[in-house]
Amino acid sequence: MSSRGSGDSGSPALLLRRLCCKITGLTEDAVLPYLQHSLRILGSNFNTSLQADEFQITEKINRKLVRRGREKDAAIFTELHRKLQSQGLLKNRWAVLYLLLSLSDVDVKNEGEKSVGYSSSLFARGLPSYATSTPFNFDQKYPLSSQSGVSQSTTLQSITQSSASSGISSIHGEVRSGDPTPVPQSFLPSTAFTQSSDVGRPLGSRLAGTLSRMETPGNEMSTIPKSNRPGTAKMTIMVRQGENTSFEIPESELLKDLVYAFQGIEGKWIRFDASKDGYRIDSQVGIPKAIRQMVSKLSENGWLYNKIRNYVESRSADKTFGLVGQSFCAALHQELTEYYRLIAVLEAQLQQEQDQGISETSGGLTLRRLVVWTFDPLSRLKTQAALVDVCKGKKGGSLASTIYSYMQHGDPYIRNLIKHILTMVSQPIYATLLRWIYDGELEDVHDEFFVAADPTVKNDRLWHDKYSLRKSMIPSFINMDQARKILKTGKSINYLRQVCQDRTPIKGREAAMNMDMSQAQWMFTQDTSNEFQDMIDQVYKETSRQLLDVLHSKYKFLDHLKAMRRYLLLGQGDFIRHLMDLLEEDLAKPASNLYLHNLTGILETAIRATNAQFDDSDILARLDVRLLEVSPGDTGWDVFSLDYRVDGPIRTVFTPECMIMYLRVFNFLWRAKRMEYILALIWKNQMTNSRFLRAIPELSGILHQCHVLGSKMVHFIQQTQYYISFEVLECSWDELLTKVTEAEDLDHIISAHQTFLDTVIARCLLDEQSRGILTQLRTIFDLIIEFQTAQDDFYQAATKELMARLHYKNLQEKRTTEGDWGLTQEMEEEERHRKIEFLKEIIPSTRAKLAILAQSYQDMVQQFLAMVTSHDDVSLRFLSFRLDFNEHYKASDPKYRSPLTTRVKKLS
Amino acid sequence: MADSGRQKTSQAREVMDSLYEISKILNTGLDMETLATCVRLCENGVNPEALTLVIQELRRESAAIKTSNSQI
Repeated sequence: MSSRGSGDSGSPALLLRRLCCKITGLTEDAVLPYLQHSLRILGSNFNTSLQADEFQITEKINRKLVRRGREKDAAIFTELHRKLQSQGLLKNRWAVLYLLLSLSDVDVKNEGEKSVGYSSSLFARGLPSYATSTPFNFDQKYPLSSQSGVSQSTTLQSITQSSASSGISSIHGEVRSGDPTPVPQSFLPSTAFTQSSDVGRPLGSRLAGTLSRMETPGNEMSTIPKSNRPGTAKMTIMVRQGENTSFEIPESELLKDLVYAFQGIEGKWIRFDASKDGYRIDSQVGIPKAIRQMVSKLSENGWLYNKIRNYVESRSADKTFGLVGQSFCAALHQELTEYYRLIAVLEAQLQQEQDQGISETSGGLTLRRLVVWTFDPLSRLKTQAALVDVCKGKKGGSLASTIYSYMQHGDPYIRNLIKHILTMVSQPIYATLLRWIYDGELEDVHDEFFVAADPTVKNDRLWHDKYSLRKSMIPSFINMDQARKILKTGKSINYLRQVCQDRTPIKGREAAMNMDMSQAQWMFTQDTSNEFQDMIDQVYKETSRQLLDVLHSKYKFLDHLKAMRRYLLLGQGDFIRHLMDLLEEDLAKPASNLYLHNLTGILETAIRATNAQFDDSDILARLDVRLLEVSPGDTGWDVFSLDYRVDGPIRTVFTPECMIMYLRVFNFLWRAKRMEYILALIWKNQMTNSRFLRAIPELSGILHQCHVLGSKMVHFIQQTQYYISFEVLECSWDELLTKVTEAEDLDHIISAHQTFLDTVIARCLLDEQSRGILTQLRTIFDLIIEFQTAQDDFYQAATKELMARLHYKNLQEKRTTEGDWGLTQEMEEEERHRKIEFLKEIIPSTRAKLAILAQSYQDMVQQFLAMVTSHDDVSLRFLSFRLDFNEHYKASDPKYRSPLTTRVKKLS
Repeated sequence: MADSGRQKTSQAREVMDSLYEISKILNTGLDMETLATCVRLCENGVNPEALTLVIQELRRESAAIKTSNSQI
């Protein structure tokens, strides 16, 4: 409003007055209060809420007419509007049109009535204040005095407040007024009218806010051009149903097309666009962008459906895809059936509408409705399509794992869907699993299960090699521990059946078999229930117990183990000693002269003569002699070995590798035992000979030397034997026995046995690490043997000399009794000569020999001690302390004076 | 000058006729005179939204007056 036409007959004020008169039919004076108020309304600033968009308004008018079924009038309007445009006389065409539009059919509309009611209250409140206000002055530039303005604005504020409480569009009001509501209201009157330069702007904007809240049709219109949104659904749709609008196709057609598109079929308008990989409306067809978008959004259903169907079809035909994959397909198919049902319903709805003709009833199918209805199916399809994407190329357990990874979806709706699919997918896995753990049967044609069997493996390696875990096929909801238990359970059953020939049913299996397959979801709901874990544990425990029972009772595993200890690890002392006594002669021969049958005979004799005879005949039958590979120069001692034949189930524990280890240990122990045996002989000889040889006083030095060296060796061997039998064998054996009695399954026993053997091997210096020490020990053993021969030689010579002397004496006495001369010259000469010979020849050489032996023995033991002290094993270090308890070796050689420092040096 | 003025008048006439037609189609309930007034107001830059409100108010008021008159 401007002051441009003041005084003119066409001035806005005059025009307005005329308008008032005209409408109310009152005289010019009577109409004054209304005029005043009207002017104030006009004075308020509305421009912010409107944009002068003529096109939008004509569009709206058109739609409005069409909606009322007045297509003819719409055509006329278009024609008239065109005329107006061509003349160009009107400057504010849009304003006039807008006015007309707003005024049209006011009384018909509900909203209109509401607004009327509201506005009347506005007037009713406003009017009394006018009575006291100054008369309206038309020529006044600022038509309102500040006084009346205050009162007026307060009333208006109260209205604003009251309407704002409804909260309908208070945000709009705020934005539009540019005057935030939180401003203290007491300020408003003054600010409103002191900023007089722009006429009552805050008041006006406030009024605008009020108006916008009234939800008049005008308001609805006003917001639309501003936000440029695609009208409400109804209006758009109604327009499309009018066939006259050349640029739009009827919605019913679109809907029909959409339903086709949902099934992946191209329709009349909606085609598959390969470049965009989706269904699009033909770009040549004129359709508003919003509708276009909606349609392409809706047709996503079709795209997803296509994808899933293609997957299902291609996979269902694939025979190698396996059961898990098939059930995945089945689950998808089930979902698709659900989807088909939806499409059928939609189609029926469409058909019905078509039959009845296009109705405007609220029940009809519209694009918007379709969006709502397909919302859930769309999300289902999306999830399935996602699954299809990630499951490509996977099968069996890994497929289940992949689906399981989607189980953590936050949306319970999706989660249920996934759970359903996963239940179906895991069904075959679960069935296979049950078969496996209850019957030991592996029905896995397509390699889907996580237990794999190798059919080429023979029964004797069944436990170790036949079954293995297929890591990639373990579903992620089954952890490694469970998978191993499952593997062992089935393996145990198979082992019982095939190796142990045990067909007795395992307890509790019948009850378990009755469990139905529907418990598959136990597997992947383990975080909420323990049932799966419990089931696995229980079956595992029972099966393992059964297996161990059979092993212990039927196959006497423990007895065999003890037999190993007694015979191969020399636990049966009397038997071993006797065997050695019997074998001594034979074994001293070169190895090539040994005959197995002779040795077997000796073994039999040894068994019958000792406590071994009371052992189980089965065990004794297994005991055998074995000759190791002969290399040149070996004596019987080097190649002789006891053997223990194992077969059947116990072979699983006593594998050939284990038996070789046993033989190595036996060899070592046998050697050590032989040293003990030799030393006992040496001692016996010393004891007997020392008395005889006292007759030759020249020999006392040598005898002493022998005794010293002998005791040194005895001490050494005794300590070593002690170490072997107590520190090594007994300790490990005790551990093994505890573990075996506590063992839950065969694997525990096997591993305990293996640990036992490993410890024994390591402590008996038979492993790589102690090779140096072992050779040192061997050298010491060799020295002992050398000493034995040296001493034997000496004793032989000494005895011979002794005998000669005795003979000489006897001869002397005999001759004396015969009355002859006791000695002749030549006899005496001969005797003297022989004596000198003996003293010259034997004594120095034996002395030297023994000295060398003693020295090298001393060196060897010292080296051995040094090596042992630097060994990692604590018990071996203790052995060194025992061997050198009085620091004899340490004191005698400065080089080894401080074994501790050398050890530290070596370690560092 | 007079020619152009006449031409203008006839044009205005046509425009008013067209507008009146539209008004009738839209069932605004405005007569020719009121419409002319409104159009002039609009041409003067009055906000149509406000004008709508004014007209609606005035109509209601007049209706109220009439009913009150008839009651009396």
